[in-house]
Amino acid sequence: MHRGTEKLIEQKTYTQAIPYFDRLDYVSPMCQEHAFAIAVEDLLNIQAPERAQYIRVMFAEVTRILNHLLNIPAFAMDIGAATPMLWAFEEREKMLEFHEAVSGARFHAAYFRPGGVHQDLPDGLLEKMKVYFENFPKFIDTLEELLTENRIFKQRSVDIGILSKEDAVRLSCSGPVLRASGVAWDLRKSQPYDVYDKVNFSIPVGKTGDTYDRYLVRMEEMRESVKIILQCINQIPTGAVMVENNKITPPKRSEMKNSMEAIIHHFKLFTEGYRVPEGITYRAVEAPKGEFGVVLVSDGSSKPYRCKLRAPGFPHLQALHFLSQGHQLADVPSILGSLDIVFGEIDR
Amino acid sequence: MSPNLLQKYSVGNFHFPIRSGVDNILVNKESILEVVQKVKEDEELLYEQLVDITATDNILSKTEYSNERYTLIYTFLSLKFNKRLFVFTNISEEDLNIDSITQIFECADWYERECYDLFGIKFKNHPNLQRLMNDYNFQGHPLRKDFPLTGYEEVRYDENLKKLCMNQLV
Repeated sequence: MHRGTEKLIEQKTYTQAIPYFDRLDYVSPMCQEHAFAIAVEDLLNIQAPERAQYIRVMFAEVTRILNHLLNIPAFAMDIGAATPMLWAFEEREKMLEFHEAVSGARFHAAYFRPGGVHQDLPDGLLEKMKVYFENFPKFIDTLEELLTENRIFKQRSVDIGILSKEDAVRLSCSGPVLRASGVAWDLRKSQPYDVYDKVNFSIPVGKTGDTYDRYLVRMEEMRESVKIILQCINQIPTGAVMVENNKITPPKRSEMKNSMEAIIHHFKLFTEGYRVPEGITYRAVEAPKGEFGVVLVSDGSSKPYRCKLRAPGFPHLQALHFLSQGHQLADVPSILGSLDIVFGEIDR
Repeated sequence: MSPNLLQKYSVGNFHFPIRSGVDNILVNKESILEVVQKVKEDEELLYEQLVDITATDNILSKTEYSNERYTLIYTFLSLKFNKRLFVFTNISEEDLNIDSITQIFECADWYERECYDLFGIKFKNHPNLQRLMNDYNFQGHPLRKDFPLTGYEEVRYDENLKKLCMNQLV
């Protein structure tokens, strides 16, 4: 399914490249836009306004919950439990409405842009989100009742696919897979981007590094994500959501009615795009699956010269060979489910 | 960055400006194994995780940051010191060979296969250097700048012949 995303991005302007990021790991779209947005901001030497940074962090965490709510029940289904899938999808649907409210699309949002986010939150969304996420931990509890002490679930996952600390580092694992092996490594803490350094949360780590631990880590991560979202809702300032520099971001509609210059800027931005100074950068974000990074090379034109996408699932899938050694065939679905593989990002 | 390592292996500064404060060195491709071994094991460095291997094709680049056709970029991460390192090495069009680092970092296996598939860089002593992304019998290396966006062939279903056909694109 190699779609040549990296080649296609080289032919498009920076703005046109954003939708490709939604289609990589299609269950956690916003986190990948986030990596691209901060990489381009890095080269442009700009910083998104604080309100935009809060919105991005908030929606990156919504995306994380969405991702885990797909992975956990899919994993459970692979090893025999059908109900969690139905339950989780109901909640996912409710959260996708928040996606839709801000971007107009449920999955392929194209919401995070270099310089901020596409548009401000609609009125009343924060209140709705607050009510929803205050009640969400109850749902995590019910999901946990179904799985955590479930005898069949534990039989199929405890002590399966054990990954030691050393092996996890050696095999280039990141995200929940690395943390389940007992390495307290999270890019949101160790190399904070946007406003992650202004919110409090803890990093859940596992002990043995088996598939059951990876499940537990994801469960706890959802609780932490809820904490981050609620803090963002309380702390979010008012103000602009996009850098106000019409060389990079489009002018307001109302301005274009009166200003010739605004029309010229608009025309330039949507035909040629903006030029990005020469440079090379690597920016990584803690995507739900692990470290998602973008190596961005710019030659000073309005199109990326090279854009390499470092997908977390790629080394994880590679590690499947190591993890399944000495196991039976029936354990492979369990290991594969716990690695959280989505092929959209692996063969790009 | 340990200054000793910089002096010993670096073959000049990388002129391309690098943002976000990532350490970087440019090395000769002959010394890549030595450098990678060193950055992994040196007590002051401990870059024990290989994050990524990728390449760029410099043929169209207007900037003079490399005289050779390809530049390989290795990205390392030190969990202990919370630092990243870029190792750059240039590869000329005439000699596409470079030593594989799979014996030092096992996970380099697929990264190198990907680079081989998309750029045609040949990794010596790689355990299984085959295409990873593209189809069987695929010709060419798509991320080279002289490879057209549409490719050389298209696959379509022929209604009359009732089968899949490969057509050459001009």
